Amino acid sequence: MPTEKNDLHRGTLDMLILKIVAAGPLHGYAIAQRLQQISKDYFQVPQGSLYPALHRLEERGWVDAEWKDTSTGREAKFYKLTAKGKKQLEVEVLGWERLSDAVSLILRTAD
Amino acid sequence: MRWLSRLGKKPLVEKRFDSELQFHLEQQIADYIASGMPAEEARRRANLEFGGVERFKEECRETRWENQFDIFIRDFRFALRGLIKDRRFAFVSIFALALAIGASTAMISVVENALFEPFPYKDQRKLVVVHIRDLDEKDNSRSFFTMPEIEEIRKQNTVFEGTASNQQDDVVQMGTEASLRLDGNFVTPGSFDFLGVPALLGRALEDADYQPGATPVFVLRYKAWQGKFHSDPSAIGKTFTINGVARTLAGVMPPRFAWGGADLWIPCSYEAAQTLTSGQFDKYWGFVARLKPGVSENEASAEMGLIAKRLATLNPKDYPRHFDTSVENFGHAVVPQEFRNSLYLFLVAVSLLLLIGCGNVANLLLARATTRNKEFAVRAALGASRHRLIRQLLVESLLLALGGAFLGVLFAWAGVRVLSTSMPNSTIASETVIEMNPTVLVFALVMGVGTIFIFGLVPALRASRCDLQDSLRDTGKGLSGTGSNARLRNSVIVLEVALSLTLLFTAGLFIRSFLALSHVPLDFSIDHVLTARIPLPPNRYKTPAQITAFYQPLLQRLSSLPGVTAAATASTYPPYDCCPAEIEIAGKSREQKRTATLELSSENYFQVLRIPFLEGRTFLAEEVNGARRVAVINETFRSRYFKNENPIGQRVHLLLMETFDDPLPNAWFEVVGVVADAKNHGLENPNDPEVWFPYTVYPRPAWALLVKTVGEPTNMIETVGKEVWASDSGVALADPESLEHVRDVSMLAQPRFGLWLVTVFSAIGLILVTIGVYSVMAYSTSRQTHEFGIRMALGAEAGDVLKMVLRKGTMLLLGGIGIGLAVSFAVGRTVVAQLWGVSAFDPLTLAAVVMLLLSVGLAACWIPARRATRVDPVTALRYE
Repeated sequence: MPTEKNDLHRGTLDMLILKIVAAGPLHGYAIAQRLQQISKDYFQVPQGSLYPALHRLEERGWVDAEWKDTSTGREAKFYKLTAKGKKQLEVEVLGWERLSDAVSLILRTAD
Repeated sequence: MRWLSRLGKKPLVEKRFDSELQFHLEQQIADYIASGMPAEEARRRANLEFGGVERFKEECRETRWENQFDIFIRDFRFALRGLIKDRRFAFVSIFALALAIGASTAMISVVENALFEPFPYKDQRKLVVVHIRDLDEKDNSRSFFTMPEIEEIRKQNTVFEGTASNQQDDVVQMGTEASLRLDGNFVTPGSFDFLGVPALLGRALEDADYQPGATPVFVLRYKAWQGKFHSDPSAIGKTFTINGVARTLAGVMPPRFAWGGADLWIPCSYEAAQTLTSGQFDKYWGFVARLKPGVSENEASAEMGLIAKRLATLNPKDYPRHFDTSVENFGHAVVPQEFRNSLYLFLVAVSLLLLIGCGNVANLLLARATTRNKEFAVRAALGASRHRLIRQLLVESLLLALGGAFLGVLFAWAGVRVLSTSMPNSTIASETVIEMNPTVLVFALVMGVGTIFIFGLVPALRASRCDLQDSLRDTGKGLSGTGSNARLRNSVIVLEVALSLTLLFTAGLFIRSFLALSHVPLDFSIDHVLTARIPLPPNRYKTPAQITAFYQPLLQRLSSLPGVTAAATASTYPPYDCCPAEIEIAGKSREQKRTATLELSSENYFQVLRIPFLEGRTFLAEEVNGARRVAVINETFRSRYFKNENPIGQRVHLLLMETFDDPLPNAWFEVVGVVADAKNHGLENPNDPEVWFPYTVYPRPAWALLVKTVGEPTNMIETVGKEVWASDSGVALADPESLEHVRDVSMLAQPRFGLWLVTVFSAIGLILVTIGVYSVMAYSTSRQTHEFGIRMALGAEAGDVLKMVLRKGTMLLLGGIGIGLAVSFAVGRTVVAQLWGVSAFDPLTLAAVVMLLLSVGLAACWIPARRATRVDPVTALRYE
């Protein structure tokens, strides 16, 4: 059996994508670039995860997609955050903060 | 409707998807070129990074629902292909499942309808009847009461919420051409409220109908309204002449309402009931009560016991010397005890069938699963997720389950139809409507479908759990099944064989018993005899003289009809000449209790039934017409009470005749003849001593008519009916039938039904067991192909391999047979009451059943065994 994709990973990627597109509509390639840039090359998002994640988010109604011309005049698919996605992002960020606080608290004090 | 338009525009979606990925790739290449990379290298690196486009596409597709539909269709087609390729497996599992579902649903529906919910009446499980049982004479029990008794019970009891009484009566509706004869019921006030069933048309009987001076009314049964009144709704409110009284039809009851088995119901107040003289049992009334909430049958029995003791001291004549009193559920009282037992037995048998069927399907699925281990390992290695594997197997199971369920429902439906038409009428309540019970069907379906899903998923679960490499390395063709799986399969087979043996053995006993019963010589001739009852209205036929005046010319006219050789009347039909009563013989002490069956008859009775005289003669015509005190006895009577004396001229005292309300005083009769024995207490029992005396000495309201015909007796019904009508237009023939038919229905219908039922079920059981043995043997030999190859390469002959396989099959069969024998003996003890003329441990039946099971089982092993011998060692060894 191939190992299943890690749920935490998948959930985290979703949250990061939501955060990125919250700033404004972006196409898939730009999203990958931004993730890489902001995380200072820590995240190398493979396309194999990115596109399924985008389609999944679209299916759930958290992002909306639109075909628009890019600055170079080519048509590309732009993703933007919906109201539902915004709410979801808030929930996930809150959850993430709690988790990371708890984790770092343990790491600091559990000696 | 975005989702709908998306489904329609799928190719467009697909294209857009391509261009999205294409865009990504091009952007990447452009970026690389911008950073100074040569175009060729940029393209190569971008492609390399991007990886397998198709795999991402597939993953993206899986996230979209419209593609889920596609995947399902693909799984469905794949599963269908798999099942078609393995169609023997598919057919056998679907068939086994359907057979089990169908048989169990049909049988349980019948039992449920006939035993547990036979009536449409309100709160029917609380309805009870009261039995007075003679402790000295087992057959002597009654659940009928006189009106004064019923009044007392109603007054004294604290356990009944309500009661209803009814009295059967033959009813004649006078017509202009022929009179119509119907079964009537007098019912006491409140009966219809007690039963709680509203009328279909018009109204049921109400309190006002019972008041003195009320307009006489009656209520019709649906069947009678449909048949004899042609479903005419305008009949309501019309007036009909019933037993000489003009009565208005008040209403028609719904189809299942059949209180007392009557065609129509006539109100009768408790006051009127006290003096009613027209019923069939004139003074005895049927009595049904409803238990108060929280009162058990035992509590009610105890209280009824006290009341009956009090009644017995007031009326000692009406009660046996030692008796007990009990209340019994009304439904149980209507369905005879033996029949109820057979139905319970079948219920057990059929639940076992359902288990056998499910066991077979489980076995087949497990066997198939093991051979597919590798298939799943390969597919998992090629990237199928656990989710996909399970889903695909679910689809396969779904197909099998749908097939089995569909066919099973079909079988169940047909089974219910066949059972309900072949059910003997006299053994179930007339209200019973046999139809498919949806709860049972759902239960059986859930059992069957559940088996398929549970055992069908095993391979996927195992594939996802087990180590991939292990499965790939396993040749899957090692030694014959060892390990827990194989043991489980083997024990399922052993149990199946044991169950089947038990079923077959029971069926065999029933067959033997039925054959014995149907070959009992009656010692009287039943061919070419037409029988009917002639109910005479009691108000016009009170004295022996009036009855004689009706019968004597009628019998004479009937005898002289063309096509008729003789005609006679008697109080009952043979061979059920009811109820031995105490008698006395002149010159012998009364110390020894003597009993004999009493039968009133005309002089031609013995001629019609071809019962030969051993001594003396039959009654003379003038003896009958003159109501002389003469008697004919049977051989049993003579040998038991006269031994070596000459019976002719002896005098017997028929004490019973003096105990009636309208007694026959000084009931001494002189014996004038002795006839050979003929069956007079049913087929199963030895003959009772019997005494015949002229029908003219005592008036009884209902008589049996026996007419010996030249041709088919039922062809004479109309002619005989016309003669009866000509004698008295207020009289009609009741239940005309040939005596052969009466014999078939009353004596053989129930055993035949039991026989038929148990035979069908054991046949189904045998089929299922054959399937079971075959599937397990076929599976285990296919696992051993490799082993057989080695053995044959090392010099084993085809015969050795054959022997090996058959030996294994025989071991399983013998194990099952051993257990089955033990169970059969236990079951035999419980069915012994329903057997006649055969021991519950009949060795012949046992041997036959064991032989049958062994040969069928070995035949089932033979096919896979033969296949094993055809193994070519080279291919078997290379096979892998």
